[in-house]
Amino acid sequence: MATSSSYPPPPPYYRLYKDYLEDPKSAPEPPPPIHDATYPLFGATYTTDVVLPSLEDQGVRQLYPNGPNIDFKKVLQSLNRDLQLHILELADVLVERPSQYARRVEDISLIFKNLHHVLNSLRPHQARATLIHILECQIQRRKQAIEDIKRRREEAQRLLKESLQTLDGHQP
Amino acid sequence: MDIISQLQEQVNTIALLALNTFGALQRDAPPVRLSSNYPEPTTNPSEETINITEHTKTTSATLVQAAKTFDALVAALPLSGEDEQLKRIAELQAENEAVGLELEKQLQGAERELKQVQELFNQAAHNCLNLKKPD
Repeated sequence: MATSSSYPPPPPYYRLYKDYLEDPKSAPEPPPPIHDATYPLFGATYTTDVVLPSLEDQGVRQLYPNGPNIDFKKVLQSLNRDLQLHILELADVLVERPSQYARRVEDISLIFKNLHHVLNSLRPHQARATLIHILECQIQRRKQAIEDIKRRREEAQRLLKESLQTLDGHQP
Repeated sequence: MDIISQLQEQVNTIALLALNTFGALQRDAPPVRLSSNYPEPTTNPSEETINITEHTKTTSATLVQAAKTFDALVAALPLSGEDEQLKRIAELQAENEAVGLELEKQLQGAERELKQVQELFNQAAHNCLNLKKPD
């Protein structure tokens, strides 16, 4: 009843946690994270499988060969050259046969869609590279911290030894 | 901005430039003779027509320059295979684990020593207070 009103009240689960301070077990556990399921969010259904939909799924023809390992640089450069050629063709068509512009414009937009799809499929690679960079930074910071701690411990030992010698020297 | 976002921006820029080039051409083009029944349209070579050719040259040069920038950005992409990346991530995780254990050990040792030093300091202060006779 409250899911579709424009200003829904907050969910009523807070009442279950009335005695949480006295007895933490009297209230229910928070729900586990959703794993491999579909969930509704603001009226739309989403899945937990976040993956870039392929071009065929969007009904767009794929212009570059799709293998297990795509040579991104080559594909991007060939798509760029195709794009320039099509722009030139469009200019030609507008001069000679202006009524046939629609096919050319469609081709150009197809190339743009392919370009953007290739760039989007580079993002997982970027994510992995960012992860590698983060791990390297973390390892370096940890090594630095280890060095610092070792140095301070040695310094502390040295000070203690010196103070012991001083105390021994002052003993009657 | 990271290089993939720059590439995406460049693609959008190329689209915008192409759009503007053709739009300006369509807007500023002088009338064209459709059939031999109609007289030739009067083309007075004013400075506007000269401006149009100049403008066309600059816009097309900008478009080609944008395409060259895109190529340069693509050449600058630091790409490596997915398997290499996954292997490197596994190595780094193992190293991170080992370094973390070492750090944990050092921290525990340092905390132990800190406790000892604090204990000693407390004893020394206690003894000092006890030795001081109140006047």
